[in-house]
Amino acid sequence: MHTVTLQTHYHHVFRRRALILIALAVALVLTLMLDLSAGPASLSISDILSGLLNPENLELRHRIILFEVRLPDALIALAVGAALGLSGIETQTVLNNPLASPFTLGISSFAAFGASIAIIFAPSLPWLGHTAMLPLFALLFALLCGGLVLTFSQMLGGNRENIVLIGIALFFLGEALTSAMQYVGNAEAVQEIVFWSIGNLTKAGWTEVIVVTLCFFLILPFSMRHVWVMTLLRAGEAQAQSLGLNIRRIRFFVILRVSILCAFAICFVGVIAFVGLVGPHIARLLLGEDHRLLVSGAALCGALLLSLASFLSKALMPGVIIPVGILTAIIGVPVFVLLIAGKRRRP
Amino acid sequence: MNRLRVKNLNVFYGKTQRLFDVQLPDLEDGDILGLLGPNAAGKSTLMRALSGVQKHQGQIIYKDNHQGDIPLSDWHREVAYMPQTPPQESSLLPFELLWSAARALNLTTSDQKLAKKIELLFKRLGLAESAMSPMYSLSGGKRQLVGLALALIRNPYMLLLDEPTSALDLHWRMIVLDLVHERVNRQDGIAIAALHDLELAARYCNKLVLLAHGKVVASGPVSDVLTADNIAAVFKVKAKVEPGELGYPIIQVLEPML
Repeated sequence: MHTVTLQTHYHHVFRRRALILIALAVALVLTLMLDLSAGPASLSISDILSGLLNPENLELRHRIILFEVRLPDALIALAVGAALGLSGIETQTVLNNPLASPFTLGISSFAAFGASIAIIFAPSLPWLGHTAMLPLFALLFALLCGGLVLTFSQMLGGNRENIVLIGIALFFLGEALTSAMQYVGNAEAVQEIVFWSIGNLTKAGWTEVIVVTLCFFLILPFSMRHVWVMTLLRAGEAQAQSLGLNIRRIRFFVILRVSILCAFAICFVGVIAFVGLVGPHIARLLLGEDHRLLVSGAALCGALLLSLASFLSKALMPGVIIPVGILTAIIGVPVFVLLIAGKRRRP
Repeated sequence: MNRLRVKNLNVFYGKTQRLFDVQLPDLEDGDILGLLGPNAAGKSTLMRALSGVQKHQGQIIYKDNHQGDIPLSDWHREVAYMPQTPPQESSLLPFELLWSAARALNLTTSDQKLAKKIELLFKRLGLAESAMSPMYSLSGGKRQLVGLALALIRNPYMLLLDEPTSALDLHWRMIVLDLVHERVNRQDGIAIAALHDLELAARYCNKLVLLAHGKVVASGPVSDVLTADNIAAVFKVKAKVEPGELGYPIIQVLEPML
């Protein structure tokens, strides 16, 4: 046998996976186009392409629809999807738990609690506009939840079972507090809270797109710096620890950055279910465990899922926009069950 | 030259004491120390303490330095620890595991040298065919061998092996311990292995420690430790110990004692 066979063999494996990653990126561009073309005003894909290249090609009405309505909605789907996919893969790996996602850390339910406070008390606090207060409170409470998870888990020794348990406890606490807010709120406020909790992309503008995108690209380099350790962690914590790596410290930083990213991702658009859970699983099935590819792959899969859901939310019932959070769950659950079924066939 | 001295080692899990004043025979280049004892005797705890993963009190003196004075990163460069748990069943590939471990540890080797090293290790451990098979498709024994390969990737001076052969068949048990023996001798290293198999311990180790309830019951050369009385006291079985043809004692277990 030649001495380089294993290396070349792995090069082949790696190249095949890299091609899948490129295919995902291409698919993402296609769904983005689909998403941009969907909506009540009839704009064909070719109109959109020429409009994107040269806005002067479009009549004013269509230009406004494309640049002020559809593009921000479509891009926030990509940014939020990518952020949720990335935080999902990191949470699953670092907690060694296939069911983990940033939402099982309680972040989503705390964001909903923050949002409901803003919705109910906004009229009595005139010094801050309603539109700014809602995401701000959602963000602050999501960050608070991340901080609580980290503080409690450090106090209890930082092992991953405790992080999962604390996260789930905080999740239920957030749910209960949100219910309490609904109980005291009037019908209109309750409706708004429920609507926010479902998740909805259509209220996003350029500012939101820029904030979430910036946050994603600020966090991504930190994730990329940990790719080797994260791959190694897939062999189990005992193995990684035996090599002298301080897994608790790494876990602390991962949970910290995941909380921040997820908080920014959902504070504008509400709780978008399942993307952070299913996106990473699809990426793992397609790309294997090498986190050099998997980290960006999970972000791509998350973006792809949410972009597709955003397209369907407009295309399924012409004239009606179904809140995207409903679709991600309805698409996400069967996909998830299929994935689990596929996994059980393994020897 | 004395390489490793362990004295008065105490380990607590919360308020429960797990190791009591453990003292090991002084170890020199080429020594393989076997840790024997029934379940829950403290073998794994001792291993973890030696590896630096487990907090402890007492002295672990390595090349005249206390373990506490050596930065952990330096300690782990010299000492490799193979935990009892083999790599878990994920879709990780064994080659990927070793590669990412080497890179996570900042081993300064070129890609080509690293690939060659992994290839040689895998070939030696019978893993060449499994290098690109996901971990979940491998048997427990194969995964255990991957775990050993992982411990060896850094060319450690001191090898700590926690039941390295528990999932292996006879053939691979001997291959693994032959490899350990060869490395320890050729590269002037030492190895400490927790073992369940008395026959293997007698065959491959030159020093033994018998542990029970966190205390050392007997320690020293193989023939001093593996006596019928010691075996009866620690393992609660009646056994006959005879000198064997290959130069190490043969243990014949007769019956459990009631």
